[in-house]
Amino acid sequence: MASFARHGKKIVAIGRNYAEHVKELSNAMPPEPFFFTKPTTSYVASGGVVLIPPGIDAHHEVELGLVIGKGGRDIPQANAQAHIAGYALAVDMTARNLQNQVKKKGLPWSAAKGFDTFTPIGPFIEKTSSIDPQNLALVLSINGETKQSGLTSDMIFRIPRLIEHISSIMTLEEGDLVLTGTPSGVGPVKPGDKVECTLAIPSGPVLSKLFFSVAKREGGFYTFTPEK
Amino acid sequence: MAANFVKTGKKIIGIGRNYHAHIAEMKSATSVEPWFFLKPTTSYLQNGGTVEIPNGVDMHHEVELGVVIGRGGKNISSEMAMSHVAGYALGIDMTARNYQAQVKAKSLPWTSPKGFDTFCPISSFVPKEKIENPHDLTLWIEINGVTKQRGTTADMIFSIPRLIEHCSSIMTLEEGDLILTGTPSGVSSIVHGDKIVAGLETKAGEELARWEGDAADRQGGYSFSS
Repeated sequence: MASFARHGKKIVAIGRNYAEHVKELSNAMPPEPFFFTKPTTSYVASGGVVLIPPGIDAHHEVELGLVIGKGGRDIPQANAQAHIAGYALAVDMTARNLQNQVKKKGLPWSAAKGFDTFTPIGPFIEKTSSIDPQNLALVLSINGETKQSGLTSDMIFRIPRLIEHISSIMTLEEGDLVLTGTPSGVGPVKPGDKVECTLAIPSGPVLSKLFFSVAKREGGFYTFTPEK
Repeated sequence: MAANFVKTGKKIIGIGRNYHAHIAEMKSATSVEPWFFLKPTTSYLQNGGTVEIPNGVDMHHEVELGVVIGRGGKNISSEMAMSHVAGYALGIDMTARNYQAQVKAKSLPWTSPKGFDTFCPISSFVPKEKIENPHDLTLWIEINGVTKQRGTTADMIFSIPRLIEHCSSIMTLEEGDLILTGTPSGVSSIVHGDKIVAGLETKAGEELARWEGDAADRQGGYSFSS
């Protein structure tokens, strides 16, 4: 399972799962979970560089990821834990201006969430009885300044509900990653920034650290041009 | 191996609104550049399968020419694009139309309306060498023996090289990826018990690929309500 980033076929990301984050983007509270997917080509390992395409305003969103160990569909909440092999710290990088534009037109989020390098990912953390995923601390800082700091106990929809909801629509497979939402404090990164994230047991040991730097993407065809 | 793309591929890219008549029937707007959504590979349904209609969903068919990537890459220019193609397949981009209307109104992702299990019926692989001109093929679909969609890939607004260039400028394309290149007009609902047959032909009428199956209400699973 440690190689989930290489072999997994999908990243399923839950939207609006922390109340303060819903408010900060002036969004509506969802009546049920919803999700989007990010392609696995967006993974970038810790120590790598997030590349911002020309014209894009890239926002960070630090999240707890669940690594699926046993696939299934229509997974009842009571069985959800058995399907999880472990965890990973991740950032759901988002092209915020592109996302705002597609939202205005009711169009898909796929490109805004799917650019290469837009899913920094930490190493696999094996599930153990000492880790309660519903009680972990997530922190993201830029150049040493804390930007996001949240607790997974603040999730609106809990982990078993997320697994139940996703698998009622699409089969989950071994190696899939489920991103469980981001706390408040999202904001832009710019070229030259050094970003550090941690996942820890509150007042306890750090389980994972994730580092990446940010640079302008050079030499590609894509440029974001705002439409009137 | 690209021919085994249904088992080994990691993504399905669905191009939106690539035929004028389909745009008109959906009362949608055209775009200056292509755009796409993703369908998970768990939605593949091979020939002979039964499409599952989720509870409460008005399911529509959208027959499409699929392009299978043989050689991956990023920032692939239009000029180089066809050298990255391994072959083709006939696909049906099944869509939960009422669910899609809801997410569009709420500015939410298209992922679920497009991503249900069995929502990508797919024919067997057609090697590139068998198709001289992918921009001159006939696509058709019949429901219970009645032709619902019949179009030509000559009507694509954005060509295959342009689509490969656009998609690869955003996300790296990998061997086994599938690009569904859009649907002509004639989309309609499929209900429990319907028999579905879809085909891909040369302009002269030589059959290149076919998908046959049926549809049934899904037992259990997600229930959509407006």
